[in-house]
Amino acid sequence: MDRLINIDRRIIFIFIFLGIAIPLLVDIHLPIKPTPTVRSVYDEIERISVEDADRPVLVSFSYGASTVPEMVPMTRAILRHLFSRGRKVVGICLWPEAVGIAQPIMDELAVEFGMEYGADYAFLGYKPGNQAVVLNLGQSLAGTFPFDAAGTPVGELAVMKGVRNLKDFSFVFDFAAGDSMEFWWIPFGQEKHRFPFAGGCTAVMAPDLYPFLQSKQLVGLLGGLAGAAEYETLIEAPGSATAGMEPQSVSHLIIILFIVLGNGVYFTTRRRGGKA
Amino acid sequence: MSKIASWIAVAGVALHAAAGAQVPVDIVAFDTPNDAGASLTITWPRAETAVVSGYRVYVATAADGPFRLAVESATPGLKSGEPALFGYDDDNKRFHVVHITDYAVGETDEPAPLQDGTLYFVRLGAQTSTGEVLGEVASAVPGGNWFNTAKWNNIVLTIGLSVCILFFISKARRKDLFIRRIAGLEALDEALGRATEMGKSVLFVHGLKGMDQIPTIAAVNILGRVAQRTARFDTDLRVANVDPVVMSVSQEVVKEAYLKEGRPDAYRPDSVFMAATEQFSYAAAVAGMMVRERPAAHVMMGYFYAESLLLAETGSTTGAIQIAGTDAYTQLPFFVTTCDYTLMGEELYAASAYLSKEPKLLGSLKGQDVGKALLIGLLFVGTVVASFGVDFLTHLFAAL
Amino acid sequence: MLFMTRTLPFLFCFAFGMTGFAIYYVPHEWAQSVEREFALWLRLVYAFAYILGLVSLLSLHWSKIRQRQAGWAYSLVVYISFGVMFLFVVYNDGNGPFTSQATTGPYQWMFTSIHVASSATMFSMLAFYISSAAYRTFRARTPEAAILLVSAIIVMLGRVPIGAYISDVIPDTMQWLMSVPNMAAKRGILMGVSLGAIATSLRIIFGIERSYLGGGGD
Repeated sequence: MDRLINIDRRIIFIFIFLGIAIPLLVDIHLPIKPTPTVRSVYDEIERISVEDADRPVLVSFSYGASTVPEMVPMTRAILRHLFSRGRKVVGICLWPEAVGIAQPIMDELAVEFGMEYGADYAFLGYKPGNQAVVLNLGQSLAGTFPFDAAGTPVGELAVMKGVRNLKDFSFVFDFAAGDSMEFWWIPFGQEKHRFPFAGGCTAVMAPDLYPFLQSKQLVGLLGGLAGAAEYETLIEAPGSATAGMEPQSVSHLIIILFIVLGNGVYFTTRRRGGKA
Repeated sequence: MSKIASWIAVAGVALHAAAGAQVPVDIVAFDTPNDAGASLTITWPRAETAVVSGYRVYVATAADGPFRLAVESATPGLKSGEPALFGYDDDNKRFHVVHITDYAVGETDEPAPLQDGTLYFVRLGAQTSTGEVLGEVASAVPGGNWFNTAKWNNIVLTIGLSVCILFFISKARRKDLFIRRIAGLEALDEALGRATEMGKSVLFVHGLKGMDQIPTIAAVNILGRVAQRTARFDTDLRVANVDPVVMSVSQEVVKEAYLKEGRPDAYRPDSVFMAATEQFSYAAAVAGMMVRERPAAHVMMGYFYAESLLLAETGSTTGAIQIAGTDAYTQLPFFVTTCDYTLMGEELYAASAYLSKEPKLLGSLKGQDVGKALLIGLLFVGTVVASFGVDFLTHLFAAL
Repeated sequence: MLFMTRTLPFLFCFAFGMTGFAIYYVPHEWAQSVEREFALWLRLVYAFAYILGLVSLLSLHWSKIRQRQAGWAYSLVVYISFGVMFLFVVYNDGNGPFTSQATTGPYQWMFTSIHVASSATMFSMLAFYISSAAYRTFRARTPEAAILLVSAIIVMLGRVPIGAYISDVIPDTMQWLMSVPNMAAKRGILMGVSLGAIATSLRIIFGIERSYLGGGGD
């Protein structure tokens, strides 16, 4: 019993490893049911594609290398949806690492959907300043990002025509692995200028952002790999997030089984009068 | 034949007049309130019947024109959609509102923005099946505003809370203020004592945010108190940093603490060091330190991200006593499950007052508590009245 | 000297703090242009902080190498890694440093295959750590701990497809737990933290709190 109470954590690690590795090798498919917070993002993009199709969408990348497995699938899903609806997209980065991650994805998906750089989409690169960048964007986009990532003045990009500041975008979406949604975009952007705003974040951050959903400062939220998988289901384009759901399900089950085992051993030991 | 034609013409005029009579087109124009300027707002009553297919707003710089198109809309907004400007009156649903910031000057030219201080003449045209019905001309002068009246509730609350906090700070100088026991901080002495007895070091970790952030300022305050105690007990202190500015401030704080305790000789500059500048490099470096050097106590105070669990779980395997404090809501569960004591949310900010018992810090804490009591009372009353359909408190505190 | 190290920073802090406070309530173009300038200056400070961080990191590791302190070989790895990445950034896949960053080439390969891979690996360790932490600490010792335990199980199941596969009640309960108790707790903590932040900010603006200057009492 003592050994079960103080089980070597490496045994738990092995089970978790197998729980993630085996489902990746075996072909199992569990049905994915989108949650209301994810569906809201989908519905909003569908709505603006009909009601506000002339104005571009701003996409902000605020994540780094460590959160690529969680954030890249939702980046692909959202961009895929936007491009498939013919939406013009402008991308910016508020984290320096995001440039090397997001730009190739935008370019790759743009080619897939026949989007032309400059006319249908643009990538403006990274600017330091965190919330100061959002503040400046609310006043003047050209003043904050005078050139795109390739050095072209933004005034020369057709996709930027008529865009003076944040209010001229039909929708703003932030991919956040840190503070960007709660401490930059919402207080310095959405609260001041009241544009439709939604975001995707790592799973651990999602509970932090629920109050903003209820106050309607966030239209919707994609939380972690599960949120990305739900979105892939909605756009009917399963990708790495959907493939990751089976390993995630099995690993959650393993953790639950260990918790139940731990509690079983604890209560058994307590009943016998031992120390748990 | 001519008689029939004339009857048709009269009927046409009568129909047109009848259509116009049903379409309210007389506007009220004024400078848009609570803005930076260069904007006018016009309102007019909503048409009761569906005779209008769209509206056009024309602007001129002279009363007799020429009027140029400024806004065209099939479905202009309602006053009820802008409570910041018009409040929550039920009547607002019966009025349209449009904001004008520029108007066309030519077919192909860019629209000209409105200029502050210039008198503009505005006219509304309603598109009906029988043609456009034009209303009377109204005029207004756009200009910037010096106070956002929609934020009056915010400024009253802010000033009220600030006065409350400053009042208690000044009162604390004359009177002792009670502060409840915070278990994690009571245990700090125990942790430092344990480290001293075992002849091992104390590891202090500030979290990942910069010196301009409140949690880091709170953490540095706590570091000062911890450093004073380690100087007093002659315990080795190790402070791992991720930010160079925080490192410089921490070095000064620790040096000052050792000076205060009369132990300047005991201070070692390399006790406060940069572990790494990246989140997971930092986590790996500190975790490695925990396993190799085996400090007896880990004090983790500040704002943490994903590295919190890596640090706390690694620390728990070494058998060290762990005291954590963070206002990062999502990291609290990880600290609670892996640390011996956890300071949650504002307990981190209270820690400095608790440890130093400085009157101004205690007074500030008291002021916060009064503010919190007020908020709790308002929440309770607001919930009750809103449950009965009375919205005035909800509207009073709405962020507009 | 005391004026430069103590009084002048207080004056700056007070002036900028009060200006920032006032700007929030003043919509006039004058106030907005001040806000614009402040935000631009803040961005410059952030940009310079990167240089400061780099210099600090390199000098720390240089002193470790020079003094042959324990683990100095790892400091050498830092220098070599920095040098190699820097060289390939300047090379820029043959385009040189004065054109925009290439999205292909050795630098992009190293970024994706080394930096992204190692960073993601470190982050992934959390999966193992949470499982061992959960086994060790999720014990129903008290009624509150039991409620926490049951909630954790429901949320863990509800967040993945297997929960909906078992029963539709699980994701619905998970959604309720996230939207009601979780949000209530988050809001409570947020309000307390915000009040604490207001109090700390007031103390900083009025010069009562001076720890950010380094050293000195409160």
